[in-house]
Amino acid sequence: MTDIGNIALWIALLIGSWGSAVAFAAGRSRRADLALSAERSMFVMWGLLVLASAALMQALLAHDFSIEYVAAYTSRNLPVFYTWSAFYAGQKGSLLFWAVVLATFSAAAVLMNRGRYRELMPHVTGVLLVTITFFVAVMVFASNPFEKLGFLPQDGRGLNPQLQNPGMVIHPPMLYLGYIGIAVPFAFAVAALLSGKLDTGWLQAIRRWTIASWLFLSVGVILGMWWAYVELGWGGYWAWDPVENASLMPWLTMTAFLHSVMIQEKRGMLKKWNLGLIIGSFLLSIFGTFITRSGVIASVHSFAQSNVGWFFLGFLVLAGVASFALLAYRWPALAAEARLESMVSREAAFLFNNLIFIVITFSVFWGTLFPVLSEWVRGTKVTVGPPFFNQVNIPLGLLLLFLTGVGPLIAWRQASTANLRRQFLWPVAGMLVAGALLAALRMSDAWAIAAFALAVFVTVTVAQEFVRGTLARHRQYGEAWPLAVVRLVGRNRRRYGGYVVHLGMVMLFVGFAGMAFKSDTEVTLRPGQTTEVRSPYGHVYRFMHQGISQYEQLNRFVSAASLDVYRDGKYLGVMKSEKRQHMDSMGQPTFEPSTEVAIRSDVREDLYIIFAGSVEGTEEAVYRITINPLVWWVWYGGMVLALGGLISMWPTGRAPTPVKRRADLAGYVARVDA
Amino acid sequence: MWRVSMRSALAVLAATLALASIALAQQAPDTGQGRLAAPRMAGRGQAPVTARDNDSTVKAIERQLRCTCGCNLDVFTCRTTDFTCATSPAMHRVVVARLDSGMTAAQVIAAFQQQYGEVVLMSPPKHGFNWAAYLMPFVGLFIGLGIVGAVMRGWFRVRPRQPLEGGAPAEAGAAPTASDDEMQRLQRELERFEA
Repeated sequence: MTDIGNIALWIALLIGSWGSAVAFAAGRSRRADLALSAERSMFVMWGLLVLASAALMQALLAHDFSIEYVAAYTSRNLPVFYTWSAFYAGQKGSLLFWAVVLATFSAAAVLMNRGRYRELMPHVTGVLLVTITFFVAVMVFASNPFEKLGFLPQDGRGLNPQLQNPGMVIHPPMLYLGYIGIAVPFAFAVAALLSGKLDTGWLQAIRRWTIASWLFLSVGVILGMWWAYVELGWGGYWAWDPVENASLMPWLTMTAFLHSVMIQEKRGMLKKWNLGLIIGSFLLSIFGTFITRSGVIASVHSFAQSNVGWFFLGFLVLAGVASFALLAYRWPALAAEARLESMVSREAAFLFNNLIFIVITFSVFWGTLFPVLSEWVRGTKVTVGPPFFNQVNIPLGLLLLFLTGVGPLIAWRQASTANLRRQFLWPVAGMLVAGALLAALRMSDAWAIAAFALAVFVTVTVAQEFVRGTLARHRQYGEAWPLAVVRLVGRNRRRYGGYVVHLGMVMLFVGFAGMAFKSDTEVTLRPGQTTEVRSPYGHVYRFMHQGISQYEQLNRFVSAASLDVYRDGKYLGVMKSEKRQHMDSMGQPTFEPSTEVAIRSDVREDLYIIFAGSVEGTEEAVYRITINPLVWWVWYGGMVLALGGLISMWPTGRAPTPVKRRADLAGYVARVDA
Repeated sequence: MWRVSMRSALAVLAATLALASIALAQQAPDTGQGRLAAPRMAGRGQAPVTARDNDSTVKAIERQLRCTCGCNLDVFTCRTTDFTCATSPAMHRVVVARLDSGMTAAQVIAAFQQQYGEVVLMSPPKHGFNWAAYLMPFVGLFIGLGIVGAVMRGWFRVRPRQPLEGGAPAEAGAAPTASDDEMQRLQRELERFEA
């Protein structure tokens, strides 16, 4: 079966090369037979990559340790649940995962647009096939998941314990889906540039793809934060690690695009900018892959260093040069169809919002690469860690939060003074009251006060939009309040879905601001001994150490330290943190012992307890007790954000959207011109 | 006699039991301190926490220093997270020792920088070329604002001047006319567009 997988990759390489060539030839010559051949190549590629994936999965489940990848990432006693996730836990498997998901997305995009966008589709197919073929080539020439060992080990090395977590089963696929999903909008953008079909047709085709890939990326990033929080045990969820930054950057540019594309749809402006954002997002997703796999920048998340990084760097440079050269070539044809009529308009607000998104992206990019730059320029290594990123990005993030509230309040084209007064009165009043209240309560952190006050500002803007819309429906159609809300959202899914996303962002910022009040305490406790810790809210937590129990469980030996927890004298329950020593199937320890955190979360604060170890092999335990305020808001904010994204992308089946109307109009004008 | 001795024996027994139970009660916390069945499985042995481990100055210094084990974490986070690392506890002991020797927080950090170079600091020190790290994002913001401003000014300059209120100027030709039906249709279309 593994030989079949290997052969499938080689055939995929040949088919992909053929398909890419005929796709671009079809786009240039407009020959239908070549276009059909390219489409078929796409479907065959998909079939071959599914076959290769099935072969690798079979080898993983059958413990075929003659394959280097299987021996490196699984063992006989690894639970099946995690054996599945070993598919993408290592470099070679994750490359195959990328390729098969990209092939699936690409085949779906070709299938869904059959008979439509005839001038674009051959180029779209070509770009997607080139990208898939690149991944297949990397596997075949540099990182083959079917590479065999020269001997047959009795057991595999097993999966890193930190990857044996439910979050790690879902988080990487989600992130990959987000990264990979960007390839489809990128392919349509490049196809529009290649074909010269620069009307809004390509925007219409990618609308749902962009929201879907943004949604996957959002969920992937937040799940990654959750995994880091519950598994890594350092008491936080975002460390500004280069790999974390790599996932954030395309998310920022995609979010900017989702805003600026509205201006192109409604006003025919920012065409060059939007094309640039899509190209940039795709390049940043490849850049993230380069960072993770090249070892050029130190990161806790990196795969083992190998030469695949240079393949990605080459692809990144080629794709960047080709895409931006095309954009430059079509520059004159991308003139705006309308002009900005006022600085006080939604268009202007979106422009500033885009600017802040891009500046934050730049600051993250700059901070991530600065150590490399410093070494080049000065020959001195420096570290760019959380203190730098927080210092630079907190003010920019708050500015963005402010614009999140401002954008929806201002009318398109030009806002009148009366309009501004009507829209801003309550949000600004809410912001000022919240800020004054927090200052009066002597909140110590100025940035946190600003974040909470702006959170109130944005929340009031969203609430105001919902209240006014519902009131209007209630008055006009006599609908009951709940029905009016449902229909209001249902009839304007993109707009109100966007507002829900904004609410999610507010919740995330509230959670981020809460970390300003984090506290850590280390204690040593004998069984029966207690300690007290005061939370930022003034609650007094009392912890009583029960003792340490040891037992075997699945593929590990567990040492569990338990604490009875009381808040203000009231018993809350038992919290148990563990040290896990994973074993192989012969009972020998593998990897270093890992820590399982005990977390008790509520809307106000998280109790986060780590069992550091025992003193001299006794039941006397060392704990780190961390109180993390408002972390709950991050996870639920993420859910609200995802819900908003789903509402926005849900099909309406109603009247044509503004972009469709513009596309139709463009077609009509073209016919008249002809 | 027998009764007396019996009473005495019972009293002695009761006293012995009472003393034994008191002794057991006093020993009760210690019973839990027995050795673990498999101490090696509970990770690296830990030293009892001291007051200096929770000292806010020590923590603040350690949050600015990078652990040199290659983990990318600061010393405080590493020593309270990765309990297999021997480097961060050693660096912690050096921080405490330097503070105890009378050095200020700034001097402790400077001593680490002298020992390991700038790479030991969690963010680049603000001097020379490192200023580029801090300033470039804001320079980017101002350049961006300049470009957006220039583009907007260009757009306004080419925009034909139109009076906001009142009728069209005489030289502009006949004012556009529309029937009530057309105006209502326009209004509906605009509302749809706005939605």
